[in-house]
Amino acid sequence: MDGGAAIPVKKVAVGDRSFAEEVRKLQMGAGEEFHGETILCVTKALLQAGVSYIGGYPGAPMSHLIDVMADAKDEILDPMGIQFEQSASEAAAASLLSASIHYPMRGAVTWKSVVGTNVASDAISNLASTGVTGGSLIIIGEDYGEGSSIMQERTHAFAMKSSLPLIDPRYDMEKIVDLAERAFEMSEASNLPVFFQLRIRACHMTGSFVAKDNKVPQFSTRNPVPRAEYDVTKIVLPPASYAHEKHKFEARLPAIREYVRENDINEIFPGAGGPFGIITQGGAYSMVIRALRQLGLADAFGNTEVPIMVLNVVYPLVPEQITGFMAARESVLVVEEGNPNFIETQIAEYAHKARIDCAIHGKDVLPMAGEYTVDTVRAGVAEYMTEFAPEPYAATAGSRYQATRGAVDTANRILRDHMPEPLPARPPSFCTGCPERPIFAAMKLLMRERGPMHVSMDIGCNLFGSLPPFHVGNTVLGYGLSLASGTMVGPALDQPVIAVMGDGGFWHNGVSSGAINAQWNNYDAVLVILENGYAAATGHQRLPSSGETPVGAASEVTIENALKGLGVKWIKRVDSYDLPQTINALRDALDARGSQLRVVISDNECMLARQRRERPQKAQAMKEGRAVTQERFGVDPEVCTGDHSCMRLNGCPSLSLKHSADPLKETPIATVEDSCVACGHCGEVAHAAQLCPSFYRAEGLFNAGPLRRAAHAVNKRLLSMMGAYE
Amino acid sequence: MIAERPVTALIGALGGQGGGVLVDWLVTAAEKSGYPAQATSTPGVAQRTGATTYLFELFPEKNPPQPPLFALFPGSDDIDLMAALEPTEAGRALERGFVTARTTVITATERTYSTAEKVAAGDGTVPARPVLDGLSRASRDLIALPMKELTGGVSPQWNAVLFGAIAGSGVFPFSVDDCRDAIRSKGVAVDRNLKGFEQGVEQARLKAPLPEEEDGLAYNGPPPGFEAELDRYPERLRPIVGHALARLVDYQDDAYARLFLDHLRTVKALDTSDNMALTGEVAKRLAAWMSFEDVIRVAQLKTRPGRLDRIRGELELPDDAILNLRDYFKPGHAEMAGFLPGWLAWMVPKGSGRAGSGWSLHWPTSSAWGFAGLKLLAGRKGFRRAGSQYGEEHAAIGRWLDAIRAAAPVDMDLAVQTAKAAIWARGYGMVRREGMATLDRLLDGWTEKLSDPAALKAKVDQSIILAHANPDADIH
Repeated sequence: MDGGAAIPVKKVAVGDRSFAEEVRKLQMGAGEEFHGETILCVTKALLQAGVSYIGGYPGAPMSHLIDVMADAKDEILDPMGIQFEQSASEAAAASLLSASIHYPMRGAVTWKSVVGTNVASDAISNLASTGVTGGSLIIIGEDYGEGSSIMQERTHAFAMKSSLPLIDPRYDMEKIVDLAERAFEMSEASNLPVFFQLRIRACHMTGSFVAKDNKVPQFSTRNPVPRAEYDVTKIVLPPASYAHEKHKFEARLPAIREYVRENDINEIFPGAGGPFGIITQGGAYSMVIRALRQLGLADAFGNTEVPIMVLNVVYPLVPEQITGFMAARESVLVVEEGNPNFIETQIAEYAHKARIDCAIHGKDVLPMAGEYTVDTVRAGVAEYMTEFAPEPYAATAGSRYQATRGAVDTANRILRDHMPEPLPARPPSFCTGCPERPIFAAMKLLMRERGPMHVSMDIGCNLFGSLPPFHVGNTVLGYGLSLASGTMVGPALDQPVIAVMGDGGFWHNGVSSGAINAQWNNYDAVLVILENGYAAATGHQRLPSSGETPVGAASEVTIENALKGLGVKWIKRVDSYDLPQTINALRDALDARGSQLRVVISDNECMLARQRRERPQKAQAMKEGRAVTQERFGVDPEVCTGDHSCMRLNGCPSLSLKHSADPLKETPIATVEDSCVACGHCGEVAHAAQLCPSFYRAEGLFNAGPLRRAAHAVNKRLLSMMGAYE
Repeated sequence: MIAERPVTALIGALGGQGGGVLVDWLVTAAEKSGYPAQATSTPGVAQRTGATTYLFELFPEKNPPQPPLFALFPGSDDIDLMAALEPTEAGRALERGFVTARTTVITATERTYSTAEKVAAGDGTVPARPVLDGLSRASRDLIALPMKELTGGVSPQWNAVLFGAIAGSGVFPFSVDDCRDAIRSKGVAVDRNLKGFEQGVEQARLKAPLPEEEDGLAYNGPPPGFEAELDRYPERLRPIVGHALARLVDYQDDAYARLFLDHLRTVKALDTSDNMALTGEVAKRLAAWMSFEDVIRVAQLKTRPGRLDRIRGELELPDDAILNLRDYFKPGHAEMAGFLPGWLAWMVPKGSGRAGSGWSLHWPTSSAWGFAGLKLLAGRKGFRRAGSQYGEEHAAIGRWLDAIRAAAPVDMDLAVQTAKAAIWARGYGMVRREGMATLDRLLDGWTEKLSDPAALKAKVDQSIILAHANPDADIH
């Protein structure tokens, strides 16, 4: 047990990741051509719009905005007087917008959605009630579809229930940047904070636009607001809150609609003006236009005879725009990703009330839910065109669609002729040398000893423990919520609550919803904190316990101090690569029933970050002729019998298989690939589970001193005499 | 005439293969050559060993009349180039419609196995060749890169090799020089990346045919003095029997190899199967089993002449570098006791047997004294026959051979399958104990079970399937 000795403050080095190039680009002036990924272009738009402050919580796909801003202190933020915060949670980030309630300051915050929006919802709802004076932008990375690691929900419902405008721009870089800047005007015109949504692929899309000069904000750290303001009508209490609710529908949303109408925010591409057309979310436009091109109905520049209405603002809709588009048509296809299909149902309502006789298609030909890719949209558009559009469009779409299907079927038939079985999928897993892997090997081994245990998991890399080969992890409920979510399970199974949490999750919400809650309620619980020093999953941003503030100044926050402050007495810190120590600590923690909350901190730096730092250092030392060691693990091919027990307790990408040349070996044997970083876990597993004597650790010592070299020469002679060499 | 469509590349990468940098190079090459282009990706969880995709589109005209519209998603039958440094990833792209007759495919000839393939106790691997054949026939063109041969298995410049192959494939209109400029202008590990790039360009030019499929097995010749015995076996079986004899002489001595032949003869006498499949199967299994890896054998293998040099080679150590080798040994109760004769074995303490407990050794085999210790143990071959493990293993071998001999006259297929069931005698420690117990249960009451050969065969077949499956499969 920890005796209360001083805990060394951790110090990680985010160091060599440099965003100097991005920071330089963000200082471009009027007329220069800006090339970059969308998320960086949007960052530039914020500076061009004159923001006073920026904040956010990192998460794919918009972490880059935060990374770059954290590096821009000297060049951009300080000279312009802009405040920046990498917030401790999305709730904290959303709360920043409070600055724009009274004061005419523009501000922007960002996070991954829908999860971040969920966390931020308390602040957003209050903000939506009070309303804002300064333009307020919430940039959300809509993590829906391929590559996403979160539950599949859209943010649309959120915007609707809080009456907040939702911009879903058409993916053209000039358009995106223009709309990001206009979003501030929209916000100021309506007193509403505005959601600006970018899908995953859109965030990472490359493109260019013509830059403008950055705009120094009116109020900033260099030019403070004259005085603090008090106005009770901005407080969310009755009767003001009732007035806010009325104001949303009588003034704010109408103001947004007026802005959208007056500034042609939504776009109409009239095409050939036929009696049919497509109404699409801005963000789905590029899928629609590519689908039309593949169906022979558009060219490579997007020129099409199919009339298209692009909704760059998907909430609120402007009824007269919609009815205007539908009035002259027999049918329209609504392309709207996700469910419920809010746009389609609203459009149906507008048509009904305006007594427009126009058939509305959407989810009848397109999938009810899931990401709308080019292929899904093409299938839906083809069905709509063949069934409801006149000739020659119907015939063209139909034949082109069949031709594509035929080409795909032919290719698949050929592959199946050679390879009848389906090809293996590749779910995500821990990286080579990941310090989070051993804890799951430990738990799997303990379960062999004690039977199944219910383990509640958290958000972050640790969640991969629930996948093969570990199969450890029964539920996941939210960021920092693993401990809380095991509360009613442990007693029901008569075992301690076992919760796994990353250091990111611990600081995000795990301290309050997890540790305090468990300690205060005297729960019989074991919390395993995986402290790798960073928000590793989102790109190695610093954490409160990284030993550094977000901009690199020293910080003394530690996990132990936080826990001790809550009165947690049972805390053990283990070297994550030391498997016996880890297993024993877990066993002790599980057995210490009646000692309130027990915490095992599994400690080791994220291997990706460590490698990034150490590799150049080693190369430099090698160059200078200093002593350097280089390690890796290996498997003796003659010793390995090929039963793959080690694979089922490891899952390291570097531990792989190869086919043996020995005719007596029926199955492939284990091999350690060159990508090995010598974390030692494969050897530890072989020890802890008593698997086999196949593993070895080989260390090469370069540039040894004269004494070591002399000893080595003697050793070599002796080995040679014993027949160690061929 | 204005081009009808952009040229589209879909690139599937595994985390750590440098896909992001590759796409950066492509975008830069397009910028330098003056073609409009766009890239996007779904990194998400990709940094962590999952599969990720990048999409790169280039409009093949330098000054188009209007800005071309690029897509964010690949469309099926709309991909000009599909590149993936893993053949099954290219195959999966095909399954999704992204490889068709218009597509040039670039992939590696070697597999990078997925977790699902690794965790099977048997051989769960998917071979590369049929996938490559399928890709080759279904696509416009296949460029298969022998990546390990090209890069020595070191991954950092895999993306550069791929970039070279893309540039050399001629699918995009930019020049190979524009691509070299792109690498230089990014300024990261320029020399190493240019070297890899040139290899890729060369491979695209060569378009080497797919390598021949080989079983990769290497048979050792028979030891001297066994010629006459070997001649009694048909031509087909001589390589495996010879290999087995060589193994057992190395493992113990000539007499031990003759014991093997004695056993095998009794099976051969009953063998009426096609091509003497039963004898071949038993030869392979029996030799593997008889060379069970006890502490003496492990010490012998760990002190093999040339082993230290092989490991130096893995680390690419120059002559003046020092190798420090630590072997991971964990002799448990069974291993220690098995070394001693039965009447002494009781002296070895049992230990708790719990995970993480016991005697863990990091044995310094590269030091003279560490090597000498193992060498001493390896020299104790003479004591092996007196050890308790030897007695137990040979008793089990006897039960297994009895079962085969009993089954042969009843049902030859059953006998062959029974031979295969020896797969359970594998591994070390707990794995071996559990495997042997499973085999024991299968062979228990064999004579009675043989009264219903069909039912028994089903049981044996099932047991073999189980032996090859992932033992954790029922967890999910």
